Formats: sequence, C-alpha cells, structure tokens
Amino acid sequence: MAIRENILTSTTARDKYIQGVKSLKNEFAGPTTSDLGIDGPSRPVSTYDLFVIWHHVAMTTFTPPTQGDRNAAHRGPVFLPWHRFMLLQLEMNLQRVLGNDLTFGLPYWDWAQDGQLSSARQRRAAIWASNCMGGSGVPVTTGPFALNPADPDSWRVRITVSGITGQLIQANRGLRRQLGSQTARLPRKAHTAAALNQPVYDAAPWSTTSAGFRNLVEGWQNQPQIPPPSLHNRVHVFVGGDMSPSTSPNDPVFYLNHCNVDRIWERWMQSPPAGHGRVYVPAQSEPASLKGHRLNDTLNSLLSGSTTPAEMLDVSELYTYDSLSV
Amino acid sequence: MPSKNPVTRPTVKSIGSYVKKHAPKVEETQGHQHAMSETVREADYEGHHIVVRTTYQIEVDGTPITGHMGVTDDGNVHYHPIPNMSFASALDMVKQLIDVFPDDFTDTGPAAHGEHATKAKPRTKSAPSAPTARVKKTGKKTHADHK
Repeated sequence: MAIRENILTSTTARDKYIQGVKSLKNEFAGPTTSDLGIDGPSRPVSTYDLFVIWHHVAMTTFTPPTQGDRNAAHRGPVFLPWHRFMLLQLEMNLQRVLGNDLTFGLPYWDWAQDGQLSSARQRRAAIWASNCMGGSGVPVTTGPFALNPADPDSWRVRITVSGITGQLIQANRGLRRQLGSQTARLPRKAHTAAALNQPVYDAAPWSTTSAGFRNLVEGWQNQPQIPPPSLHNRVHVFVGGDMSPSTSPNDPVFYLNHCNVDRIWERWMQSPPAGHGRVYVPAQSEPASLKGHRLNDTLNSLLSGSTTPAEMLDVSELYTYDSLSV
Repeated sequence: MPSKNPVTRPTVKSIGSYVKKHAPKVEETQGHQHAMSETVREADYEGHHIVVRTTYQIEVDGTPITGHMGVTDDGNVHYHPIPNMSFASALDMVKQLIDVFPDDFTDTGPAAHGEHATKAKPRTKSAPSAPTARVKKTGKKTHADHK
C-alpha cells in the first residue's frame, strides 16, 4: 500500500514524483490531437497530457447542461470525489512507470504551512527551490520543469486552452508560473481549521453558493475572515501562469495542491470526534437535476473505466497519509 | 455509505483503448462556442416561479469572446478558461482574462484591427497598452405562470 508523504520532508517521494511525471510526459499510448478534435497538425498526445485534457473536459461538462454553475468535477459536491479519482489514476500510472512500485504515493504540499510565512517568504519557500518544483517565470527557468530550448525532452506545455474560444489548442512552450502576482498570500492554518469545523459536507443549492465543507475547501464561500478565492482556489491563483486555466494539470504543482486538498477531506472524514465520518450528500434519491453529483452517479472519466462518489469515500486499501495534521 | 472500488490498474494499452472510447465527448466539448453566452437562473418564491436569463456578448478589440460564461445565483460571473475565480463585474473578468492569456490578445490589439485602431486611445503612462474590452449585458426577468 502507498503512503502519501509531505514533499518537503520526503526526498524519496519528491524525486520519484519528478521522475514519474517526466516519464508520463514522454509516454505515448496512441491517441492523437486529431482523435480528440484539437485543431492543428495531428500529433501524439502523451499520457501526462491526457490528464490535462481530461480535467478540461470535465470542467466544461455542465451537470446538468441546463444550468451554468456545476460541472462534472467542480462547483458542486463531486469536486472532492472526482479529484480523488483523478489522483488515483495518476498515482497508479506513476507506480507503473516507476517499475510497478506499489509503495509509491503521490506527495502533497502542505500549503497552509507555507501560508503562515510572510508573503515575501511564501514566494521563496522550499517548494520553489531548484531541487523541488522550481521557481517563478514565464517560462520557468529553474528546477526540473525549466525550459531548455535546446533540449526537446525538457518540460513543455503541449496542450492549453484559448482564452478567446475556451477550446483546447496545441502549444510548444515552457511552463509558466507567476507566484504571488494575482494574490500575494496562500491560505493559512486558520482557514483549514475553519473547513474542518464545518459540520455538513455540502448543502442545497449544491453549487458555489452552498454552505458546508466542500464549498469552503473548494474556495467559493465568502466568509469575513476567508474571502474568496480561498483554500484550493487560492492556491491556483497564487501560483498563477499555467495553474490558472482549465488546463492547470500542466503544472505538476497541480497534483501537490490536490493531494493536500484530498488529505484535508480525509481528515474531515475521520470518525467522530476527530472528524465527521464518511458521509456524502446528495443521496441518490435526490432529483435528476443533480445528476453527476449524487452518491452513486458515474464520475466523468477519460483514461479508465469510471467509478462513483460512494466508491471514493474509503480508499484506505490503496493509500494512507503520513499525517492528517492539516 | 462507502462501497468498495474494484481497482483496475492501467496499462498503456488500456489507456489507448479508453481514450478512444471516450474521444467523442472530448470532441463534443471542443465544439462549444458561443457568440452570446446565455445563463438561465430559476427560483421559486412565495408561490411564484422566477426565471432570469442573462446574456453576455463580449469583445476584446473587436474579437468576440466565445468560451462559455456563467452567472451564479448570487450574480457573480465566471468563465471556464479562468475557473478558480468569480467576478462581481464582467469587465473585471475580461481584464483578468487578458492578464492570464497575454498570448491570445497580442494579435487582437489595435494595430491588428485597423478599424479599431482609430478608436484606441494613444498609449501613455496613464493609459497602458492594454487591449480594449466591450461588454454588453442583457438581463431579462420573466415572471412565468405559477406552479
């Protein structure tokens, strides 16, 4: 079984993660851009970039299509189980390219710990060091994902989204980050503590205007001490660059952020009194207008078969965290 | 409430096979373009059924913005390509769009649109060289039949 560890304290998990995502970036399972309706010359799409596409597709699939808020992965109850499903798929693929190492677990970034630093130090925190994720830049010029124009194997963004049309487009450029430019600060420990204190998972109208744990962790709730974008959303906005659009998995930091979000959810689901139990709403008996978000609805998938929120509530046979101190 | 997930470990072959199976839904989302984005919000209040249709028609330097925009029940605006933020003002949303996607708007600037170049203000320190955005909003409120 895998143990998911803090990327700042486990150099083994950090180095394997970097090695693994680079391997997936250079693995081609057969699909091409033309197979997926992406304009331009037909080019093979790497396994890593298929995850980028999957995230965008789930985000642009309204659930149901008659409303304009909830989509198949965000802005509704399914946000946490869908991302758990996505991370599990990535983790199993990383295990595969790391020589079927079933002990490898995705590392997480405890961003609320960095959020305790001054804003200037947050931009220079250890996660942005050359031996970890590298730093800021357009393109990033330090660390394992820096662009080297002379090296065709250096990290390149191949699929992104057009701000004008909202469609996937091809690219061939370096990774971009603008740390702290859109918002100067990461979420803090007080914010994760407030999330853990939420007594309900989610509530009607099951959207970005809901009360409850999911909507606070996702980052839409407007609380006096925690203005939006908060928690998960704030991390995307703080990193900026390629972490901003619907193709945000282009930056490997995406998975470190979501692994921490998943860890916060796991903490929330601990048995009382430490947590609130493995509870999920809406139930399957809720109206079809919530299809895609109910307990036994099918989750949007691309690289595998599907699953349901119910099947994502207890995955303790697959991985655990080294710590649930969030 | 939890149920066990029968885990199937991925292979290169299984990935190719599943992506081929799911490709039509990717292509379908690639087809979504909207010269005008309409959002319908509905609510029931005091025995009345409320429908609010909001339509946005956005241009930057004359180029239509055709990705899907949405309006949430609290009136905030969101746009798929910048999914982690919502905005009280569509103008602020478009300004953010230009910041996040600088490449997309280099060819839409005044120099690339002769017709619009004449309308553009000269670039000075107080008038930075940003694209110009025009947002048109139509909010129609319909008081439909009682349920």
